[in-house]
Amino acid sequence: MIVLARRLAQLVAVVLAVTFLAFTAMNTLGDPLFNVVGFVAAVDCDAVVAGEIEDISSQGGTTLGDCVVVAEAREEFHLNEPLPIRYGRWVGDLIRGDFGTSFKNRIPVSTVLADRLPKSLLLMGMAEVFAVALSVPWAIAAAYRANRAMDRASTIGAFGMLALPNFALGVILFYFFVVKWQIFPSRFEDDNLALRLKSLVLPALTLGMPLAATYFRLLRTDLITTLQEDFVVMAKAKGLSNRWIMFRHALRPSLFSMVTVFGLNTAALIGGALIVEQVFSIPGLGRALVEASIRDDYPVVLGATVVIATGFVIINFAVDLAYSYLDPRVRRES
Amino acid sequence: MATPLLSVTDLQVGFATERGLLRAVDGVSFDLAEGQTLGIVGESGSGKSVTAKTLMNLLPSYARVEGSVMFDGRDVRAMAAERERHFWGVEMTMVFQDPMTSLNPVKKVGEQIAESLRVHLKRSRREARDDAGDLLQQVGIPEPKKRLTQYPHELSGGLRQRVVIAMALACSPRLLIADEPTTALDVTVQKHILDLLDELREERGMAMILITHDLGVVKGRADQIMVMYAGRTMEQADTATLFSEMRHPYTEALLETIPRVDMASHSRLVPIPGSPPDAVDLGQGCPFAERCRYCSASCLIDQPSLEQHRQGHACACHAPVGTDAGAAAHAANHETGVTPAGLDMGTFATAVGEKT
Amino acid sequence: MDTPPQVDPAEQFGVVVARRLGFGFWIAAAWIIIIVTAAALAPWLPIADPNETGVGGRMDGPGWSNWFGTDSNGRDMFARTIWGARVSLIVGFFSVLLGICVGGTLGMIAGYFRGIVDRIISFSVFVLLAYPGLVLALLIVGLAGQTLPIVAMTLGIVAIAPIARLSRATTLAYSEREFVAAARVLGATDRRIMVRELLPNVLIPMGALTLLGMAITIVAEGGLAFLGLSVEEGFSWGKMIVLGSSPRTLREGPWVAMFPIGAMFVTVLALNFAGDRLREYFDVRELGIGAA
Repeated sequence: MIVLARRLAQLVAVVLAVTFLAFTAMNTLGDPLFNVVGFVAAVDCDAVVAGEIEDISSQGGTTLGDCVVVAEAREEFHLNEPLPIRYGRWVGDLIRGDFGTSFKNRIPVSTVLADRLPKSLLLMGMAEVFAVALSVPWAIAAAYRANRAMDRASTIGAFGMLALPNFALGVILFYFFVVKWQIFPSRFEDDNLALRLKSLVLPALTLGMPLAATYFRLLRTDLITTLQEDFVVMAKAKGLSNRWIMFRHALRPSLFSMVTVFGLNTAALIGGALIVEQVFSIPGLGRALVEASIRDDYPVVLGATVVIATGFVIINFAVDLAYSYLDPRVRRES
Repeated sequence: MATPLLSVTDLQVGFATERGLLRAVDGVSFDLAEGQTLGIVGESGSGKSVTAKTLMNLLPSYARVEGSVMFDGRDVRAMAAERERHFWGVEMTMVFQDPMTSLNPVKKVGEQIAESLRVHLKRSRREARDDAGDLLQQVGIPEPKKRLTQYPHELSGGLRQRVVIAMALACSPRLLIADEPTTALDVTVQKHILDLLDELREERGMAMILITHDLGVVKGRADQIMVMYAGRTMEQADTATLFSEMRHPYTEALLETIPRVDMASHSRLVPIPGSPPDAVDLGQGCPFAERCRYCSASCLIDQPSLEQHRQGHACACHAPVGTDAGAAAHAANHETGVTPAGLDMGTFATAVGEKT
Repeated sequence: MDTPPQVDPAEQFGVVVARRLGFGFWIAAAWIIIIVTAAALAPWLPIADPNETGVGGRMDGPGWSNWFGTDSNGRDMFARTIWGARVSLIVGFFSVLLGICVGGTLGMIAGYFRGIVDRIISFSVFVLLAYPGLVLALLIVGLAGQTLPIVAMTLGIVAIAPIARLSRATTLAYSEREFVAAARVLGATDRRIMVRELLPNVLIPMGALTLLGMAITIVAEGGLAFLGLSVEEGFSWGKMIVLGSSPRTLREGPWVAMFPIGAMFVTVLALNFAGDRLREYFDVRELGIGAA
């Protein structure tokens, strides 16, 4: 119990550090005023007020009133206060669910996130399901026929799959299944769950196949190693069938590496989702982040980044817990 | 004589390797009656473990086996081909050397014992668990109920080996093969385990094959002994005969490596000089010739066959200990100071009884 | 499920096969050398100008005059593929270099000195690792701009955390060994120990890591380009792929996207393979097994 509390405290510390990093980056590298008010801030208001600049429109502002807006914004958003305090306020807002407002349509960022996040989660979930469903039976079959034709071909295939970037794979799949054979829709269709899932099949495959290749390699190697352990010989001596041995003795210890990678791979999963959403035009969180990045829509960028990074930390934490549960030897130490 | 429980005839096991055919077992034969113990003695590489694995159908697929193995009149090798699953683990079981690696580290001990009961005897989960608890008690483990839910790494070496024995006994086998069951354990624990095996064997009327490199281990515990070297049987006899009338030089040498209480203090133990031969490239002649102090010229070119010296005592040697041929060869070597194989007789100095 | 798994007989009997780099390694290395040379010498090669339109017809398939075909602006794809290699390879190489120099050093310092220094560095690395790579890269490029140096530096920064972690682990493992204690007893300063004793041992896994790392950064740059966040001037393979993958272009001329995909795939494959082989080769040597 104490251990759990300590790890939770660690978790909170990391999350705070992560969000602080993002906030600081946005507000020091970018212009904090810009983050809040947008393009208007390009105007040099002091000069305008002093009458030195007549033509405001060339500066990006439209009326003198914009300078008033800027001054008010400085006040309202506490931009004159030191960074740590601004961070504190921002976290406070965050906890209350207020992520700021998007520059684009003045929609609250939280609305954007709430709309986009579920689709990304569905995509990533489907991808992992595909990956596990593909890799586990494949690895078992290959480990069973270790070093024979099927296994060698699989190893080469998996290696090749990992060399293909996911956007390339996405483009190839898109070309064949959408453009050429027109089996799947070309845009994301949202009308009902079935259509949603159908739209996500290709993107989930694109995301999931490289994962499957990684899981396959790990699981196969671990299975082969485990199958050579003495306790497997002992199990055979007990007259247990090969199927029993594989599923009841060899599989569980061999899953450890795969489970560890499960968590580590979340980074690749999220990054991959960004790209896959782009290729297949899925309106998910990743796409929102990219679009916002290009548009310099900082509130959205910050909000999305924070959600993604925090989620990632939490997932790793959960994986750690799961790992210590799976391996009773580790359990004692943790 | 009634049909022996286990009858092995001219067993040969070879492995196809890159360098050629490795003859791990070359013409081994023995009979084992119900309730009896056979001790198989030899150094590492002598083929004793491979013999055991052959009986248990644990050989890898690139092994080539010939000869016959009959258990209670049934052809064991044919069973392997047909995948008869309720033979091994039920009628014939095995205990291995290292209990730590024989047990699945991530499975509870109780589960591992109960497995055989559920798979072979179709017991229910609960029945199997109860039986497992009983078994743990029979092998002398204190607090058996508690142990059922523990993991292997939570037990000491001696307890683990008892667990492995319990696992092997679960389905009341008629034959138990113990391959160096105590080698990985502390010396103090070794005796307990061997005694335990003896007890259990008697209680259950079980036959046993005890494999070891230590003649001392089988002395009081086996009914007959087979000494193996380089995959071949060197000497085979019932225990009393073997110790009182040993004939093979290798057997004699093995005996001399065991320290005894009645030795003069500071006497040197005589190790067997040299090392086991390369099993792929055995050459002609007796495989032990290079290390044998009774070696004669014919030993190097002519492989001795296993001959019945008397009823129940066989030996494969040209110049056995205690025969005229043997004494002559020994004397000749003693005079020249070196054997025909080039072995310096000085290495055999200062053993008990001043033999050289 | 009838026959049990087959084990290599040689391994079963303790005969360890000598590891050589192997035929495949040299093929992979050959490709890498070819592509790097072609990219470096691109301005002087007898190929078309990658930006010149109308060299071939519009959207011509691969043929004798244009080996890789032309794109929708009539530009020669073969030349573009070679020129695209330049950005991809430069970014790939320099980012890995940055990652190894900074990350490797940080990791070594953390692993060697331990204590509070280690905790600070490890925590920072952990926080950096909390950002999925692409997200971090996106953030930095989005904030700092889209020039070649910045993109290379960004990917380098992203590479720092995982490399630092590996370097720290290796350093920790090695500093337990006797030769470090021996050096210290002989009075060597910390810096000397780190540079003379630890560094060579830490560098060995790093060497293989360079190739593997380059494969990753090339793909990462491709990903960034695909998202529109790579270099604005010029083009890389990633940018070419995104230009060629609109539904219409795919319908009319799939080669526009497929050739850069192919080029990237083969290069990454070669880097992965060569890197893997190198790592295995040095692993075996290090353990002292092997007939070499």
